[in-house]
Amino acid sequence: MAREFASKGVEFVFLYSREAHPGENYPAHRSFEQKLAHARAFKAEFKVERPILVDDLTGTAHKLYGSLPNMTYFIARGGRVLFRADWTDPLTIEYAIKYVLDSRARRREGLRLAPFYAEFVGYRWNDPLKFQKGLARAGQQAVDDFARAMEKRLKQPPRPGRIELSE
Amino acid sequence: MVNIGKIEGYNYSVFVGSEDFMDFRTLVPVGSSAPDFQATLLETGLPVNLSEYWKKSDVLIEFGSFT
Repeated sequence: MAREFASKGVEFVFLYSREAHPGENYPAHRSFEQKLAHARAFKAEFKVERPILVDDLTGTAHKLYGSLPNMTYFIARGGRVLFRADWTDPLTIEYAIKYVLDSRARRREGLRLAPFYAEFVGYRWNDPLKFQKGLARAGQQAVDDFARAMEKRLKQPPRPGRIELSE
Repeated sequence: MVNIGKIEGYNYSVFVGSEDFMDFRTLVPVGSSAPDFQATLLETGLPVNLSEYWKKSDVLIEFGSFT
């Protein structure tokens, strides 16, 4: 997708933040060198071609944008945020970028367009097996911590700002 | 010299899943200007500002980690 949109003037970048599910194999970062090493392993494992920007050890960039583990932001040339999501879903990103590009095309055709604010609930396909595999790759501790957190979550009220599955 | 507590506070060693979604909701809404920051480009080891990217083109930025 990055390649497809590169020809349309959209650069995809990845910001490497703290380990979301630290475990024995990929523990929480205690040095910047370690964070760089994890980022390199990530690039190799997932064959990431996009530029990888590694955030500092205290999470400066990550915190600036909301501290969630897998956010997406679309920033137009010039710096205005046109789209953002609290998770990363390729299909959704594709729709969002096409929406922006289409709007610009319509404007170029001569239509006067005024910007407005909109929101929508996104849906991402979630593969639990793949996710568990990812946790196992981080280490058994990551698997156990996640299981414990899920158990605890069932007994807690919904968190503010988070879209919960209600159906 | 950054204090260790700040590093260990941010880089938790145990996932508990209590992320605060309200920061995301309130900090950088659509329509606002993307805050700039400096990070290290993995490829070169050199510092780079996010603004260098959006000055030249649209940018789709994904946040994440190996785990």
